[in-house]
Amino acid sequence: MNDPDRRQFLQRTGRTTCAVALGGTGIVLGRRACSEDAWAIVPNKCVNIRLGVTGSEQVCDVCATDCVLPLSAVRAVNDHAECGRCCICPAYYDVRGPMGPDGLPAKKLCPRDAIVRTPIGEVDPYDPLNNFYEYTIDESKCNGCGRCVMECKDPAGLGSIRLEVRYDLCVCCNQCSIAQHCPEEAYCRIGPQPAPARTLEGGHV
Amino acid sequence: MILMRTQSDPILVSMRSGLSAWAQGCGLLTLLFLMLATVMLPVRGQEEYSRPVTAAPQPEDIGDSYQLPAVQHVAPRSTWWYAVDVVLLFAALVAAALVAHRWRRRWMVVTITVASLAYFGFFRQGCVCPIGAIQNVAAAIADPTLAVPFVVVLFFLLPLIAALLVGRVFCSGVCPLGAIQDLAVLWPVQLPRAVDRWGGMLKYLYLAAALWFAVQPAGERDFIICRFDPFVGFFRLSGSAWMLLLGGGLLVLGMFVGRPYCRFLCPYGGLLAIVSRYALKSVCITPDEELDCGLCAESCPFGAIRNLRADRADCMACARCFAHCPRQQVKWGEIELVEIENTKPIQLRTPLAPVEAKT
Repeated sequence: MNDPDRRQFLQRTGRTTCAVALGGTGIVLGRRACSEDAWAIVPNKCVNIRLGVTGSEQVCDVCATDCVLPLSAVRAVNDHAECGRCCICPAYYDVRGPMGPDGLPAKKLCPRDAIVRTPIGEVDPYDPLNNFYEYTIDESKCNGCGRCVMECKDPAGLGSIRLEVRYDLCVCCNQCSIAQHCPEEAYCRIGPQPAPARTLEGGHV
Repeated sequence: MILMRTQSDPILVSMRSGLSAWAQGCGLLTLLFLMLATVMLPVRGQEEYSRPVTAAPQPEDIGDSYQLPAVQHVAPRSTWWYAVDVVLLFAALVAAALVAHRWRRRWMVVTITVASLAYFGFFRQGCVCPIGAIQNVAAAIADPTLAVPFVVVLFFLLPLIAALLVGRVFCSGVCPLGAIQDLAVLWPVQLPRAVDRWGGMLKYLYLAAALWFAVQPAGERDFIICRFDPFVGFFRLSGSAWMLLLGGGLLVLGMFVGRPYCRFLCPYGGLLAIVSRYALKSVCITPDEELDCGLCAESCPFGAIRNLRADRADCMACARCFAHCPRQQVKWGEIELVEIENTKPIQLRTPLAPVEAKT
Protein backbone atom coordinates (compact mmCIF):
# COMPACT_ATOMS: atom_id res chain seq x y z
CA MET A 1 0.00 0.00 0.00
CA ASN A 2 2.79 2.35 0.84
CA ASP A 3 4.66 1.48 -2.25
CA PRO A 4 5.42 4.92 -3.71
CA ASP A 5 5.07 3.78 -7.30
CA ARG A 6 1.66 2.32 -6.69
CA ARG A 7 0.61 5.40 -4.79
CA GLN A 8 1.80 7.69 -7.55
CA PHE A 9 0.04 5.56 -10.12
CA LEU A 10 -3.24 5.75 -8.24
CA GLN A 11 -2.84 9.46 -7.77
CA ARG A 12 -2.20 10.01 -11.46
CA THR A 13 -5.04 7.76 -12.53
CA GLY A 14 -7.42 9.54 -10.22
CA ARG A 15 -6.27 12.93 -11.42
CA THR A 16 -6.66 11.95 -15.07
CA THR A 17 -10.10 10.49 -14.41
CA CYS A 18 -11.22 13.68 -12.69
CA ALA A 19 -9.80 15.84 -15.45
CA VAL A 20 -11.54 13.76 -18.12
CA ALA A 21 -14.83 13.82 -16.21
CA LEU A 22 -14.71 17.58 -15.74
CA GLY A 23 -13.64 18.18 -19.33
CA GLY A 24 -16.35 15.86 -20.61
CA THR A 25 -19.04 17.61 -18.60
CA GLY A 26 -17.73 20.93 -19.82
CA ILE A 27 -17.79 19.87 -23.46
CA VAL A 28 -21.21 18.17 -23.31
CA LEU A 29 -22.86 21.10 -21.60
CA GLY A 30 -20.80 23.85 -23.20
CA ARG A 31 -21.93 22.80 -26.65
CA ARG A 32 -25.53 23.57 -25.92
CA ALA A 33 -25.10 26.17 -23.26
CA CYS A 34 -26.88 29.44 -23.78
CA SER A 35 -25.94 32.86 -22.64
CA GLU A 36 -29.02 33.33 -20.54
CA ASP A 37 -31.99 31.62 -19.12
CA ALA A 38 -35.00 33.09 -17.49
CA TRP A 39 -38.30 32.32 -15.90
CA ALA A 40 -41.32 33.29 -17.95
CA ILE A 41 -45.08 33.01 -17.71
CA VAL A 42 -46.81 30.99 -20.41
CA PRO A 43 -49.94 33.05 -21.23
CA ASN A 44 -51.97 30.07 -22.37
CA LYS A 45 -51.48 28.26 -19.09
CA CYS A 46 -51.63 31.09 -16.60
CA VAL A 47 -55.04 31.15 -14.92
CA ASN A 48 -55.04 34.92 -14.84
CA ILE A 49 -54.10 35.43 -18.49
CA ARG A 50 -55.70 32.58 -20.40
CA LEU A 51 -59.27 32.85 -21.63
CA GLY A 52 -62.08 30.94 -20.02
CA VAL A 53 -61.66 31.88 -16.40
CA THR A 54 -62.95 35.31 -15.46
CA GLY A 55 -63.76 37.27 -12.38
CA SER A 56 -61.19 38.79 -10.09
CA GLU A 57 -62.47 36.72 -7.19
CA GLN A 58 -61.02 33.67 -8.93
CA VAL A 59 -57.61 35.26 -9.21
CA CYS A 60 -54.50 33.20 -8.59
CA ASP A 61 -52.08 35.43 -6.72
CA VAL A 62 -49.22 32.98 -6.32
CA CYS A 63 -46.96 35.28 -8.33
CA ALA A 64 -47.53 38.04 -5.80
CA THR A 65 -47.32 35.95 -2.66
CA ASP A 66 -44.68 33.35 -3.38
CA CYS A 67 -41.76 35.24 -4.86
CA VAL A 68 -38.69 35.32 -2.63
CA LEU A 69 -38.38 39.04 -3.23
CA PRO A 70 -40.23 41.38 -0.87
CA LEU A 71 -42.11 42.80 -3.88
CA SER A 72 -42.56 40.10 -6.48
CA ALA A 73 -40.55 40.23 -9.71
CA VAL A 74 -43.81 39.72 -11.60
CA ARG A 75 -45.62 42.81 -12.79
CA ALA A 76 -48.75 43.53 -14.72
CA VAL A 77 -47.89 45.13 -18.04
CA ASN A 78 -50.39 47.06 -20.14
CA ASP A 79 -49.71 46.77 -23.83
CA HIS A 80 -51.02 50.18 -24.86
CA ALA A 81 -51.42 49.20 -28.49
CA GLU A 82 -54.01 46.62 -27.40
CA CYS A 83 -55.72 48.71 -24.75
CA GLY A 84 -59.36 49.70 -25.37
CA ARG A 85 -58.86 52.90 -23.34
CA CYS A 86 -62.35 52.46 -21.96
CA CYS A 87 -63.91 54.97 -19.63
CA ILE A 88 -65.08 52.26 -17.29
CA CYS A 89 -62.15 49.97 -17.44
CA PRO A 90 -62.99 46.66 -15.75
CA ALA A 91 -59.38 46.33 -14.67
CA TYR A 92 -59.34 49.79 -13.13
CA TYR A 93 -62.77 49.87 -11.54
CA ASP A 94 -64.46 47.21 -9.51
CA VAL A 95 -67.34 47.09 -12.00
CA ARG A 96 -69.40 44.73 -9.89
CA GLY A 97 -69.25 46.99 -6.90
CA PRO A 98 -71.72 49.81 -6.17
CA MET A 99 -71.89 52.81 -8.46
CA GLY A 100 -70.71 56.16 -7.24
CA PRO A 101 -72.68 59.41 -7.66
CA ASP A 102 -70.74 60.30 -10.83
CA GLY A 103 -71.94 57.20 -12.65
CA LEU A 104 -68.58 55.48 -12.29
CA PRO A 105 -68.00 52.48 -10.05
CA ALA A 106 -67.09 53.68 -6.60
CA LYS A 107 -64.27 51.27 -5.92
CA LYS A 108 -61.02 50.56 -7.74
CA LEU A 109 -60.10 47.00 -8.45
CA CYS A 110 -56.39 47.13 -7.71
CA PRO A 111 -55.79 46.48 -4.02
CA ARG A 112 -52.55 48.46 -4.17
CA ASP A 113 -53.89 51.28 -6.36
CA ALA A 114 -51.14 50.65 -8.89
CA ILE A 115 -53.08 51.61 -12.02
CA VAL A 116 -52.95 55.24 -13.10
CA ARG A 117 -55.82 56.57 -15.22
CA THR A 118 -55.26 59.66 -17.32
CA PRO A 119 -57.79 61.06 -19.78
CA ILE A 120 -56.45 61.60 -23.27
CA GLY A 121 -57.07 65.10 -24.57
CA GLU A 122 -60.02 67.22 -23.46
CA VAL A 123 -62.78 65.56 -21.48
CA ASP A 124 -66.24 66.58 -22.67
CA PRO A 125 -68.05 67.21 -19.35
CA TYR A 126 -71.37 66.11 -20.87
CA ASP A 127 -70.01 62.93 -22.32
CA PRO A 128 -67.08 61.74 -20.21
CA LEU A 129 -67.85 58.12 -21.06
CA ASN A 130 -66.95 58.67 -24.64
CA ASN A 131 -63.47 59.88 -23.91
CA PHE A 132 -60.34 57.82 -24.22
CA TYR A 133 -58.34 57.10 -21.12
CA GLU A 134 -54.82 55.92 -20.81
CA TYR A 135 -54.04 53.28 -18.19
CA THR A 136 -50.49 52.90 -17.03
CA ILE A 137 -49.23 50.63 -14.30
CA ASP A 138 -47.15 52.04 -11.52
CA GLU A 139 -44.42 49.44 -11.31
CA SER A 140 -43.31 50.54 -7.89
CA LYS A 141 -46.72 49.55 -6.51
CA CYS A 142 -47.73 46.58 -8.65
CA ASN A 143 -46.98 43.23 -7.09
CA GLY A 144 -48.32 41.06 -9.89
CA CYS A 145 -51.42 39.81 -8.08
CA GLY A 146 -53.19 39.52 -11.42
CA ARG A 147 -56.62 40.91 -10.54
CA CYS A 148 -56.53 43.44 -13.38
CA VAL A 149 -55.24 40.76 -15.75
CA MET A 150 -58.15 38.55 -14.77
CA GLU A 151 -60.66 41.31 -15.59
CA CYS A 152 -59.08 42.70 -18.76
CA LYS A 153 -59.99 39.81 -20.99
CA ASP A 154 -62.92 38.33 -22.77
CA PRO A 155 -65.77 39.22 -22.37
CA ALA A 156 -65.16 42.54 -20.66
CA GLY A 157 -61.76 43.57 -21.93
CA LEU A 158 -59.34 43.16 -24.75
CA GLY A 159 -56.62 41.33 -22.89
CA SER A 160 -54.12 44.13 -23.10
CA ILE A 161 -52.88 43.64 -19.55
CA ARG A 162 -50.66 40.63 -18.99
CA LEU A 163 -48.44 39.38 -16.23
CA GLU A 164 -44.78 39.36 -17.08
CA VAL A 165 -41.62 38.50 -15.23
CA ARG A 166 -39.34 41.47 -14.89
CA TYR A 167 -35.97 39.94 -15.70
CA ASP A 168 -34.09 42.83 -14.20
CA LEU A 169 -35.74 42.13 -10.86
CA CYS A 170 -35.98 38.35 -10.95
CA VAL A 171 -33.06 36.78 -9.10
CA CYS A 172 -33.58 33.67 -11.21
CA CYS A 173 -33.61 31.21 -8.33
CA ASN A 174 -32.83 27.68 -9.27
CA GLN A 175 -35.80 26.43 -7.33
CA CYS A 176 -38.20 29.21 -8.23
CA SER A 177 -40.68 29.48 -5.46
CA ILE A 178 -43.44 30.77 -7.75
CA ALA A 179 -42.92 27.94 -10.22
CA GLN A 180 -43.21 25.47 -7.40
CA HIS A 181 -46.57 26.78 -6.31
CA CYS A 182 -48.00 27.68 -9.72
CA PRO A 183 -51.19 25.63 -10.04
CA GLU A 184 -50.95 25.28 -13.82
CA GLU A 185 -47.22 24.93 -14.45
CA ALA A 186 -47.46 28.22 -16.29
CA TYR A 187 -44.28 29.53 -14.73
CA CYS A 188 -41.50 27.90 -16.65
CA ARG A 189 -37.88 28.20 -17.47
CA ILE A 190 -36.95 29.38 -20.92
CA GLY A 191 -33.52 29.22 -22.40
CA PRO A 192 -32.55 27.81 -25.74
CA GLN A 193 -36.22 27.11 -26.34
CA PRO A 194 -38.23 29.94 -27.87
CA ALA A 195 -40.17 32.16 -25.53
CA PRO A 196 -43.80 31.09 -24.99
CA ALA A 197 -46.31 32.28 -27.55
CA ARG A 198 -48.12 35.50 -26.71
CA THR A 199 -51.24 34.74 -28.73
CA LEU A 200 -54.00 33.35 -26.57
CA GLU A 201 -55.74 30.20 -27.66
CA GLY A 202 -59.26 31.11 -28.71
CA GLY A 203 -58.95 34.84 -29.18
CA HIS A 204 -56.97 37.92 -28.22
CA VAL A 205 -53.70 38.63 -29.91
CA MET B 1 -67.39 42.51 -26.78
CA ILE B 2 -69.15 45.06 -24.70
CA LEU B 3 -67.40 47.59 -22.62
CA MET B 4 -68.81 46.44 -19.34
CA ARG B 5 -69.23 43.02 -17.93
CA THR B 6 -72.89 42.17 -18.16
CA GLN B 7 -74.56 39.92 -15.73
CA SER B 8 -77.13 39.04 -18.34
CA ASP B 9 -74.68 37.58 -20.79
CA PRO B 10 -76.62 34.37 -21.59
CA ILE B 11 -79.82 36.36 -22.20
CA LEU B 12 -77.94 38.67 -24.45
CA VAL B 13 -76.54 35.78 -26.43
CA SER B 14 -79.89 34.05 -26.78
CA MET B 15 -81.54 37.28 -27.86
CA ARG B 16 -78.83 37.79 -30.41
CA SER B 17 -79.15 34.32 -31.86
CA GLY B 18 -82.95 34.40 -31.81
CA LEU B 19 -83.00 37.75 -33.47
CA SER B 20 -80.43 36.78 -36.04
CA ALA B 21 -82.55 33.81 -37.14
CA TRP B 22 -85.38 36.21 -37.68
CA ALA B 23 -83.08 38.67 -39.38
CA GLN B 24 -82.04 36.21 -42.03
CA GLY B 25 -85.56 36.37 -43.41
CA CYS B 26 -85.98 40.13 -43.19
CA GLY B 27 -83.13 41.44 -45.22
CA LEU B 28 -80.41 43.96 -44.86
CA LEU B 29 -82.44 46.73 -43.23
CA THR B 30 -83.40 44.61 -40.28
CA LEU B 31 -79.84 43.42 -39.94
CA LEU B 32 -78.72 47.01 -39.70
CA PHE B 33 -81.37 47.69 -37.10
CA LEU B 34 -80.30 44.62 -35.21
CA MET B 35 -76.70 45.72 -35.10
CA LEU B 36 -77.76 49.07 -33.80
CA ALA B 37 -80.00 47.39 -31.25
CA THR B 38 -77.20 45.19 -30.05
CA VAL B 39 -75.03 48.21 -29.53
CA MET B 40 -77.75 50.17 -27.78
CA LEU B 41 -79.06 47.22 -25.80
CA PRO B 42 -79.45 48.43 -22.23
CA VAL B 43 -77.09 46.59 -19.95
CA ARG B 44 -77.92 46.17 -16.33
CA GLY B 45 -76.07 48.58 -14.06
CA GLN B 46 -75.15 50.79 -16.95
CA GLU B 47 -78.09 52.78 -18.13
CA GLU B 48 -76.44 55.64 -19.92
CA TYR B 49 -74.02 54.66 -22.56
CA SER B 50 -71.58 52.06 -23.60
CA ARG B 51 -68.92 52.28 -26.20
CA PRO B 52 -68.58 48.91 -27.86
CA VAL B 53 -64.98 47.93 -27.81
CA THR B 54 -64.07 45.33 -30.32
CA ALA B 55 -60.69 46.67 -31.25
CA ALA B 56 -58.25 48.86 -29.47
CA PRO B 57 -58.36 52.46 -30.67
CA GLN B 58 -55.10 53.34 -32.30
CA PRO B 59 -53.45 56.79 -32.28
CA GLU B 60 -55.20 57.74 -35.54
CA ASP B 61 -58.59 56.94 -33.98
CA ILE B 62 -57.78 58.99 -30.93
CA GLY B 63 -56.40 61.94 -32.86
CA ASP B 64 -54.87 65.04 -31.34
CA SER B 65 -51.41 63.77 -32.24
CA TYR B 66 -51.66 61.17 -29.52
CA GLN B 67 -48.47 59.23 -28.99
CA LEU B 68 -48.56 55.62 -27.86
CA PRO B 69 -46.77 55.48 -24.56
CA ALA B 70 -43.85 53.12 -24.33
CA VAL B 71 -44.95 49.73 -23.14
CA GLN B 72 -43.40 48.87 -19.82
CA HIS B 73 -41.55 46.08 -21.43
CA VAL B 74 -39.32 43.95 -19.38
CA ALA B 75 -35.71 44.88 -19.75
CA PRO B 76 -33.59 42.02 -20.96
CA ARG B 77 -31.63 40.34 -18.24
CA SER B 78 -28.24 41.88 -18.04
CA THR B 79 -25.81 39.14 -18.94
CA TRP B 80 -23.24 41.66 -17.91
CA TRP B 81 -23.76 40.76 -14.27
CA TYR B 82 -23.15 37.13 -15.04
CA ALA B 83 -19.86 38.02 -16.69
CA VAL B 84 -18.94 39.98 -13.56
CA ASP B 85 -19.90 36.97 -11.43
CA VAL B 86 -17.69 34.61 -13.38
CA VAL B 87 -14.74 37.01 -13.46
CA LEU B 88 -15.02 37.63 -9.72
CA LEU B 89 -15.32 33.92 -9.00
CA PHE B 90 -12.20 33.28 -11.04
CA ALA B 91 -10.31 36.12 -9.37
CA ALA B 92 -11.36 34.96 -5.91
CA LEU B 93 -10.26 31.39 -6.67
CA VAL B 94 -6.87 32.59 -7.88
CA ALA B 95 -6.48 34.81 -4.83
CA ALA B 96 -7.48 32.00 -2.47
CA ALA B 97 -5.04 29.65 -4.19
CA LEU B 98 -2.21 32.16 -3.88
CA VAL B 99 -2.99 32.68 -0.20
CA ALA B 100 -3.14 28.96 0.47
CA HIS B 101 0.12 28.17 -1.29
CA ARG B 102 2.23 31.31 -1.26
CA TRP B 103 1.19 34.19 0.98
CA ARG B 104 -0.23 31.99 3.74
CA ARG B 105 -1.80 34.86 5.67
CA ARG B 106 -5.00 34.31 7.58
CA TRP B 107 -6.13 37.93 7.26
CA MET B 108 -6.10 37.59 3.49
CA VAL B 109 -8.47 34.63 3.72
CA VAL B 110 -10.70 36.65 6.04
CA THR B 111 -10.69 39.48 3.49
CA ILE B 112 -11.72 37.11 0.72
CA THR B 113 -14.35 35.63 3.03
CA VAL B 114 -15.91 38.97 3.87
CA ALA B 115 -15.77 40.22 0.27
CA SER B 116 -17.31 37.04 -1.07
CA LEU B 117 -20.01 37.03 1.57
CA ALA B 118 -20.84 40.60 0.68
CA TYR B 119 -20.86 40.08 -3.08
CA PHE B 120 -21.99 36.50 -3.77
CA GLY B 121 -24.04 36.33 -0.61
CA PHE B 122 -25.79 39.56 0.17
CA PHE B 123 -25.45 41.41 -3.13
CA ARG B 124 -26.13 38.60 -5.60
CA GLN B 125 -28.38 36.90 -3.06
CA GLY B 126 -26.84 33.48 -3.31
CA CYS B 127 -27.81 32.64 -6.91
CA VAL B 128 -26.05 31.28 -8.93
CA CYS B 129 -23.90 29.13 -6.70
CA PRO B 130 -21.85 26.06 -7.55
CA ILE B 131 -23.64 23.99 -4.91
CA GLY B 132 -26.98 24.46 -6.59
CA ALA B 133 -25.37 24.21 -10.02
CA ILE B 134 -24.84 20.49 -9.38
CA GLN B 135 -28.55 20.00 -9.94
CA ASN B 136 -28.72 22.11 -13.09
CA VAL B 137 -25.79 20.19 -14.52
CA ALA B 138 -27.28 16.83 -13.56
CA ALA B 139 -30.70 17.78 -14.91
CA ALA B 140 -29.18 19.14 -18.12
CA ILE B 141 -27.22 15.95 -18.70
CA ALA B 142 -30.35 13.87 -18.11
CA ASP B 143 -32.71 16.09 -20.10
CA PRO B 144 -31.18 17.54 -23.29
CA THR B 145 -34.03 20.03 -23.73
CA LEU B 146 -33.22 21.87 -20.55
CA ALA B 147 -31.63 25.28 -20.61
CA VAL B 148 -28.16 25.35 -19.22
CA PRO B 149 -26.65 28.80 -19.09
CA PHE B 150 -22.92 29.31 -19.51
CA VAL B 151 -22.72 30.88 -16.11
CA VAL B 152 -24.04 27.73 -14.46
CA VAL B 153 -21.56 25.51 -16.33
CA LEU B 154 -18.69 27.81 -15.42
CA PHE B 155 -19.76 28.11 -11.79
CA PHE B 156 -19.96 24.35 -11.59
CA LEU B 157 -16.61 23.66 -13.27
CA LEU B 158 -14.29 26.44 -12.09
CA PRO B 159 -14.12 25.45 -8.40
CA LEU B 160 -13.72 21.79 -9.35
CA ILE B 161 -10.86 22.60 -11.75
CA ALA B 162 -9.30 24.72 -9.00
CA ALA B 163 -9.68 21.77 -6.63
CA LEU B 164 -7.95 19.48 -9.07
CA LEU B 165 -5.04 21.91 -9.30
CA VAL B 166 -4.63 23.40 -5.86
CA GLY B 167 -7.16 21.84 -3.49
CA ARG B 168 -10.41 23.11 -2.01
CA VAL B 169 -9.63 26.81 -2.30
CA PHE B 170 -13.27 27.48 -3.19
CA CYS B 171 -14.25 26.43 0.32
CA SER B 172 -11.66 28.66 1.97
CA GLY B 173 -13.69 31.81 1.63
CA VAL B 174 -15.08 32.10 -1.87
CA CYS B 175 -18.25 30.13 -1.19
CA PRO B 176 -20.76 32.43 0.50
CA LEU B 177 -22.24 29.57 2.48
CA GLY B 178 -18.81 28.64 3.77
CA ALA B 179 -17.99 32.29 4.35
CA ILE B 180 -20.96 32.96 6.61
CA GLN B 181 -20.12 29.87 8.66
CA ASP B 182 -16.41 30.63 8.75
CA LEU B 183 -17.08 33.97 10.37
CA ALA B 184 -19.21 32.19 12.96
CA VAL B 185 -16.39 29.89 14.11
CA LEU B 186 -15.69 31.30 17.57
CA TRP B 187 -14.91 28.56 20.07
CA PRO B 188 -14.24 25.48 17.97
CA VAL B 189 -13.99 22.13 19.66
CA GLN B 190 -12.27 19.08 18.24
CA LEU B 191 -14.76 16.42 17.34
CA PRO B 192 -13.97 12.76 17.78
CA ARG B 193 -12.49 11.28 14.63
CA ALA B 194 -15.39 8.89 14.19
CA VAL B 195 -17.92 11.73 14.12
CA ASP B 196 -15.90 13.45 11.43
CA ARG B 197 -15.55 10.33 9.38
CA TRP B 198 -19.09 9.02 9.56
CA GLY B 199 -20.70 12.44 9.65
CA GLY B 200 -18.76 13.32 6.54
CA MET B 201 -20.48 10.45 4.73
CA LEU B 202 -23.79 12.31 5.06
CA LYS B 203 -22.79 14.75 2.36
CA TYR B 204 -22.42 11.96 -0.16
CA LEU B 205 -25.88 10.70 0.73
CA TYR B 206 -27.20 14.23 0.29
CA LEU B 207 -25.37 14.49 -3.04
CA ALA B 208 -26.92 11.22 -4.21
CA ALA B 209 -30.38 12.36 -3.14
CA ALA B 210 -29.95 15.73 -4.86
CA LEU B 211 -28.81 14.03 -8.08
CA TRP B 212 -31.73 11.62 -7.90
CA PHE B 213 -34.29 14.39 -7.55
CA ALA B 214 -32.60 16.53 -10.20
CA VAL B 215 -32.67 13.90 -12.95
CA GLN B 216 -36.40 13.22 -12.62
CA PRO B 217 -38.62 14.17 -15.57
CA ALA B 218 -39.62 17.82 -15.77
CA GLY B 219 -42.81 17.66 -13.72
CA GLU B 220 -41.32 15.87 -10.73
CA ARG B 221 -37.92 17.50 -10.84
CA ASP B 222 -36.99 19.07 -7.56
CA PHE B 223 -33.87 20.97 -6.61
CA ILE B 224 -33.61 19.96 -2.99
CA ILE B 225 -30.23 21.63 -2.40
CA CYS B 226 -31.75 25.00 -3.19
CA ARG B 227 -34.96 24.24 -1.39
CA PHE B 228 -33.13 23.32 1.79
CA ASP B 229 -30.38 25.88 1.49
CA PRO B 230 -30.05 26.98 5.11
CA PHE B 231 -28.32 30.32 4.57
CA VAL B 232 -29.90 31.77 1.45
CA GLY B 233 -32.71 33.12 3.61
CA PHE B 234 -30.19 35.36 5.37
CA PHE B 235 -28.76 36.57 2.06
CA ARG B 236 -32.21 37.49 0.79
CA LEU B 237 -33.47 38.65 4.16
CA SER B 238 -36.58 36.60 3.56
CA GLY B 239 -37.57 32.99 3.61
CA SER B 240 -39.68 30.49 5.42
CA ALA B 241 -39.43 30.64 9.18
CA TRP B 242 -38.19 27.14 9.67
CA MET B 243 -35.45 27.43 7.06
CA LEU B 244 -34.23 30.61 8.74
CA LEU B 245 -34.41 28.77 12.05
CA LEU B 246 -32.38 25.90 10.60
CA GLY B 247 -29.81 28.35 9.24
CA GLY B 248 -29.62 30.14 12.56
CA GLY B 249 -29.30 26.81 14.34
CA LEU B 250 -26.44 25.77 12.06
CA LEU B 251 -24.69 29.09 12.71
CA VAL B 252 -25.05 28.67 16.48
CA LEU B 253 -23.78 25.11 16.20
CA GLY B 254 -21.02 26.48 13.98
CA MET B 255 -19.69 28.58 16.82
CA PHE B 256 -18.48 25.35 18.42
CA VAL B 257 -18.33 22.87 15.57
CA GLY B 258 -16.47 24.47 12.68
CA ARG B 259 -18.63 24.81 9.55
CA PRO B 260 -21.14 22.03 10.14
CA TYR B 261 -22.87 22.46 6.77
CA CYS B 262 -19.60 22.31 4.80
CA ARG B 263 -18.27 19.31 6.66
CA PHE B 264 -21.32 17.14 7.00
CA LEU B 265 -23.92 18.24 4.49
CA CYS B 266 -22.58 20.21 1.54
CA PRO B 267 -22.97 18.02 -1.58
CA TYR B 268 -20.57 20.18 -3.55
CA GLY B 269 -18.10 19.73 -0.71
CA GLY B 270 -18.44 16.01 -1.43
CA LEU B 271 -17.53 16.51 -5.07
CA LEU B 272 -14.65 18.80 -4.13
CA ALA B 273 -13.39 16.26 -1.60
CA ILE B 274 -13.32 13.54 -4.24
CA VAL B 275 -11.54 15.74 -6.77
CA SER B 276 -9.11 17.37 -4.35
CA ARG B 277 -7.88 13.94 -3.27
CA TYR B 278 -6.05 13.96 -6.60
CA ALA B 279 -4.98 17.59 -6.48
CA LEU B 280 -1.66 18.53 -8.03
CA LYS B 281 -0.71 20.65 -5.05
CA SER B 282 -2.01 20.30 -1.55
CA VAL B 283 -1.79 22.58 1.44
CA CYS B 284 1.58 22.24 3.18
CA ILE B 285 1.37 23.45 6.75
CA THR B 286 4.94 24.35 7.63
CA PRO B 287 6.86 26.70 5.39
CA ASP B 288 10.06 24.69 5.75
CA GLU B 289 10.95 22.20 8.42
CA GLU B 290 8.51 20.98 10.96
CA LEU B 291 8.65 20.89 14.72
CA ASP B 292 6.07 18.13 15.27
CA CYS B 293 4.49 20.40 17.84
CA GLY B 294 0.92 19.65 16.85
CA LEU B 295 -0.24 23.24 17.25
CA CYS B 296 -1.62 23.16 13.72
CA ALA B 297 -3.82 20.18 14.49
CA GLU B 298 -5.18 21.98 17.53
CA SER B 299 -5.85 25.13 15.54
CA CYS B 300 -7.82 23.40 12.81
CA PRO B 301 -11.52 23.74 13.62
CA PHE B 302 -12.45 21.18 10.98
CA GLY B 303 -10.39 18.23 12.15
CA ALA B 304 -8.68 18.17 8.78
CA ILE B 305 -5.13 17.70 10.05
CA ARG B 306 -4.17 14.10 10.58
CA ASN B 307 -0.70 12.92 11.48
CA LEU B 308 0.34 16.56 11.32
CA ARG B 309 -0.56 16.68 7.65
CA ALA B 310 -3.48 18.51 6.09
CA ASP B 311 -5.87 15.93 4.72
CA ARG B 312 -6.33 16.77 1.06
CA ALA B 313 -9.98 15.83 0.97
CA ASP B 314 -11.01 17.73 4.12
CA CYS B 315 -8.67 20.73 4.21
CA MET B 316 -10.61 23.86 3.33
CA ALA B 317 -7.51 26.04 3.01
CA CYS B 318 -8.67 28.47 5.68
CA ALA B 319 -5.03 29.27 6.63
CA ARG B 320 -5.65 28.99 10.38
CA CYS B 321 -2.87 26.42 10.75
CA PHE B 322 -0.34 28.74 9.11
CA ALA B 323 -1.07 31.40 11.66
CA HIS B 324 -0.50 28.94 14.50
CA CYS B 325 2.64 27.33 13.14
CA PRO B 326 5.76 28.39 15.09
CA ARG B 327 8.00 27.83 12.10
CA GLN B 328 5.79 30.12 10.07
CA GLN B 329 5.89 32.73 12.80
CA VAL B 330 9.66 32.51 12.92
CA LYS B 331 9.76 33.00 9.22
CA TRP B 332 7.55 36.08 9.46
CA GLY B 333 9.72 37.37 12.30
CA GLU B 334 6.85 37.37 14.74
CA ILE B 335 8.68 35.20 17.24
CA GLU B 336 12.26 34.19 17.76
CA LEU B 337 13.51 30.81 18.73
CA VAL B 338 15.87 31.19 21.65
CA GLU B 339 18.02 28.64 23.29
CA ILE B 340 16.96 28.01 26.80
CA GLU B 341 19.97 26.53 28.56
CA ASN B 342 22.97 25.93 26.45
CA THR B 343 24.30 27.39 23.31
CA LYS B 344 23.59 24.43 21.12
CA PRO B 345 21.70 25.29 18.03
CA ILE B 346 18.14 24.12 18.20
CA GLN B 347 17.59 20.69 16.83
CA LEU B 348 14.76 20.72 14.47
CA ARG B 349 12.57 17.67 14.00
CA THR B 350 12.65 17.04 17.72
CA PRO B 351 9.47 17.75 19.57
CA LEU B 352 9.90 20.98 21.51
CA ALA B 353 6.72 20.62 23.44
CA PRO B 354 5.13 17.29 22.79
CA VAL B 355 1.52 18.37 22.91
CA GLU B 356 -0.72 15.47 22.07
CA ALA B 357 1.48 13.76 19.60
CA LYS B 358 -1.36 12.43 17.53
CA THR B 359 -0.66 9.30 15.59
